Amino acid sequence: MLSDCAKEKIKKIYGNYSDLHSVSMTAMQIVQREIGHLTKEDLIEIAEMLDMKPIELDEIGGFYTMYNVERPVGKYHVQVCENLPCALVGAEHIITVIERHLKIKVGETTADKRYTLSRVQCLGSCGTAPMMQVNEEFYEDLTERNVIEILDGFE
Amino acid sequence: MVEAVDDKLILEIDGKEVRVPFGTLILDAAKEVDVTIPTFCYQARLSGIGSCRMCIVEIEGQKKLQPACITPVMDGMKIATNSETVVSARRSMLEFLLSNHAKDCPVCDKAGECELQDMVYSHGQRKSKFEEKKISLHVKDYIISPVIIKNSNRCVQCVRCVRVCREVVGRGVLGSVGRGAYQEETSFRKGELDCDSCGMCIEVCPVGCFMRLPYRYKARPWDLKSAISVCPYCATGCKTTLQERDGEVVRSIAFKGLGFNDWLMCARGRFGYDILNSDKRLTKPLRKKGDGFEEISWSEAMGMISAEFAKTSPEKRGGVATASLPNEELFFFQKLMREAMGTPNLDSTSRWSGDTAGAYMAATAINEGGRTIYKAVNSDTVFVLGTQLSEENPVIDYIVRHVTDSGRSNLVIVSPRAMKLDATAHQSLRHTPGELAKFLNALILCLYEGDAGGLASLEEVGLSSKVSIAELAKLAGVTVDELRQLSMRLKRSETISILAGTDILKLDQGARGLRLLKLALEAMGKRLRILPILDRANQRGAWGMGVHPSLGPGFSPLSDDEKGLDCYGMLEAAAAGEMDLMYVIGEDIAGMYPDRAFAEDALSKVGFLIVQETFMTDTALKADLILPGALAGEKTGTFTNQVGRVQNLAPIQSPPGGARIDLDIMGDIASTVSKGFMDDGCTDIFGCIQKVVPSYLNIDNKSTGKDCGSVISTDVSLEAFFNVAESPGAVPTEEYPLRLITGNHLFYSGNLSSYSDILGSLLKEPVAEVGPETAKALGLEDGQNINVASEGYLDSFRLKISKGTPAGVVFIAENYEDKPINRFFKRGETIPLVKITS
Ligand code: SF4
Ligand code: SF4
Ligand code: SF4
Ligand code: FES
Ligand code: FES
Repeated sequence: MLSDCAKEKIKKIYGNYSDLHSVSMTAMQIVQREIGHLTKEDLIEIAEMLDMKPIELDEIGGFYTMYNVERPVGKYHVQVCENLPCALVGAEHIITVIERHLKIKVGETTADKRYTLSRVQCLGSCGTAPMMQVNEEFYEDLTERNVIEILDGFE
Repeated sequence: MVEAVDDKLILEIDGKEVRVPFGTLILDAAKEVDVTIPTFCYQARLSGIGSCRMCIVEIEGQKKLQPACITPVMDGMKIATNSETVVSARRSMLEFLLSNHAKDCPVCDKAGECELQDMVYSHGQRKSKFEEKKISLHVKDYIISPVIIKNSNRCVQCVRCVRVCREVVGRGVLGSVGRGAYQEETSFRKGELDCDSCGMCIEVCPVGCFMRLPYRYKARPWDLKSAISVCPYCATGCKTTLQERDGEVVRSIAFKGLGFNDWLMCARGRFGYDILNSDKRLTKPLRKKGDGFEEISWSEAMGMISAEFAKTSPEKRGGVATASLPNEELFFFQKLMREAMGTPNLDSTSRWSGDTAGAYMAATAINEGGRTIYKAVNSDTVFVLGTQLSEENPVIDYIVRHVTDSGRSNLVIVSPRAMKLDATAHQSLRHTPGELAKFLNALILCLYEGDAGGLASLEEVGLSSKVSIAELAKLAGVTVDELRQLSMRLKRSETISILAGTDILKLDQGARGLRLLKLALEAMGKRLRILPILDRANQRGAWGMGVHPSLGPGFSPLSDDEKGLDCYGMLEAAAAGEMDLMYVIGEDIAGMYPDRAFAEDALSKVGFLIVQETFMTDTALKADLILPGALAGEKTGTFTNQVGRVQNLAPIQSPPGGARIDLDIMGDIASTVSKGFMDDGCTDIFGCIQKVVPSYLNIDNKSTGKDCGSVISTDVSLEAFFNVAESPGAVPTEEYPLRLITGNHLFYSGNLSSYSDILGSLLKEPVAEVGPETAKALGLEDGQNINVASEGYLDSFRLKISKGTPAGVVFIAENYEDKPINRFFKRGETIPLVKITS
């Protein structure tokens, strides 16, 4: 169910786009911010608002790793880029380090629901590889040491 | 903008010179010189995506290979389609396609007719370099619709399924979810589809991903026997190939290149075939006995007819043969009625009057010969009028969408409620049900605004200009602005196609208006094509064969003393005890006549009622004698589709049990009632037809599988022959504030399709559809149970709110088995008034 607040926010940005379909990505982002993921019902409601088919939003959600469709995530969604530039400077190692530190595998959430670990595709920050995004923030030039400090630094 | 495309470009493909116009794709240019380039994701009629790279070719001077299916030719190109580089690249592409393919052909329904199998066989290699574990998108096949089962592990990601659902069907309920190797073409969250169930996604899938659920594990292509026939469910006349194995018809399939429809079909055509196997078929002649029936032999049946016939007088005999019989049978039927039984009373429907049919034929100039549907809709403006095209003739909806989306036409829809095609239309107008005549009148006045001279000459042929445009618009439920906009579109168009549907017939409205619109537009110099859009498979044929009370074969108008009663007239006579004998073939009068109570009463008063049927219809239940007939898949003969194309039927099986071919039964009846009638009867019925129906002269009915040709123009004039007063629209009252409209459901056509179990499984429950305003005003919610009541009848339905349906209108399909919609009607009513309560 979309909250009234989310609906309001979505309606407010209609004017920024040339047509309703173009609102879809931002609308999904607005809704996702509320509980960290999108439910099936959310997609149906957004589709209804934007005069689209739910499957079209499903396609968007399935293509971009930033959307979590029917995938609840922890308070901190740790998304490590796995594409070539990052991989060349040790992304895989970083992932292993995080897995070991949080005691979860990629795709899992810690028992206290604080962390979820995901692999994602290039986030456009290849110059500062390896890198990860936690919720909406970038963390760059990761090393075995600083990544643990970063993770432990969250409340 | 590129100018004139007359100048052809010259290029070379595999050493052969080709001349093609600017914009031609390499793939199509190659076809011109018989060079076949293998393709996979390419599909004619769908947008090109160039994703599979099967069609790559080498172009001299270009380093990279190019996909022929999306690359347009350029002047002077030298193209190689089979060079060593191309062959090896193609092989690699196939290797990639197989890298994640399940390769489970032994258990795959598609094996034997799989494009991937064929492709690998002819262009691939035996071994693969890939050793990685295959990605598995799911473990078990999953069902997404009562007719579709899905296995995504076989997918080659050609996206044809998604494209066909969006671009052709216009439903758009499939998508590509996920990316890269994990991309899966499926329904929303892999859930149950709420869609047209047309099966187009199955038909285009080159591999075994989208599969027919009813066909699952039933056969291999090489086990099947086929017959190329025609879909019996609407007058679009889609060519279908019926296939059976071990005495069971297991599939109806549209093959590319067969018939105008290619691979296009709707749910009815693709899944309604199982009526052929139904165990509800009538298989023995039945005689009324008490409240029930007893089985009798054919000779007993003929004996009964002989005895009863002797007691009747010619003017008190009559017959109705449904417009779903082939031409040969319909032609013989009118001969049997007129010559052997000596009665002029005959008709091909119980749903509208003979005069209304006549007025419609005149307005659509049906005697002016056939057309090709693609050419016919390829005009500046396509004007859909009086038909819920998306539901009644789905394949025409696909074709119109295609032509419109390719930017070649303006599409205008004028109808009383929303339809799928609205999303494609440039202008959709909602008029008040039953007020099409006023709408057309207002439109003509708009077209001639400021042209008093033109208007005067139209007045001479019957246009009324007394009421103002504004007043008419109000009565018709549209705005003057809408009318002006439409009139502008028509004025700006040189060619106009009007698709004129059965609302004109059923609601007895608009035929005169359509004729005037035709004259008005022609006087403006427009090139006009009017296409009849009909719901019974051979309605056009039935009229052409002379199964009409006032028209003989070939649309020849009968003199007043030759004319007979239409079905309406026969029922009235019957109700008054004036019908001694009625012979009804395939028409469910009780189920279709708009006033069921009256029809049932009238039928029970017929002296001797013979009903020739394939199923126990409500009409059959009233019969004194039931004769088991045959279905389209059991006969030879021809259907004439709505645009005049004549096509052959071929039998896939014989009628079950003691059921017989209708033509043979009629022949026996003819000899029974008129000794010696069959002696000089002709054996080649089609030849006899050609002698009296000149429009069929050029038809070659021997051409099996292919087209037999199109009917040609006859020089009879139907103009002014039928002068009908159209039914005035109903005016809602305080107590009954809503207008009820009805028509065919997307999954059904007439009563026949209701015997299909597969189609039955698609239909959730009977719904009554209203627009959002009506729902709001009544405080009703989508999905709740409601009662719909007219003065004489009440029934319950589930409410469906459909955007775009105007206030004050309720729609209920006419095909629900336990919801006899014609009970809402009182005789003479075209639009019953109803109320909705929760
Ligand atoms: S059956 Fe037809 S409407 Fe349904 S998903 Fe397939 S193509 Fe689309
Ligand atoms: S499901 Fe079939 S049609 Fe759709 S993308 Fe896969 S292979 Fe192509
Ligand atoms: S019902 Fe009509 S549109 Fe559908 S397949 Fe049959 S002929 Fe074609
Ligand atoms: S590859 Fe990791 S950010 Fe671009
Ligand atoms: S057929 Fe040309 S790229 Fe697929």
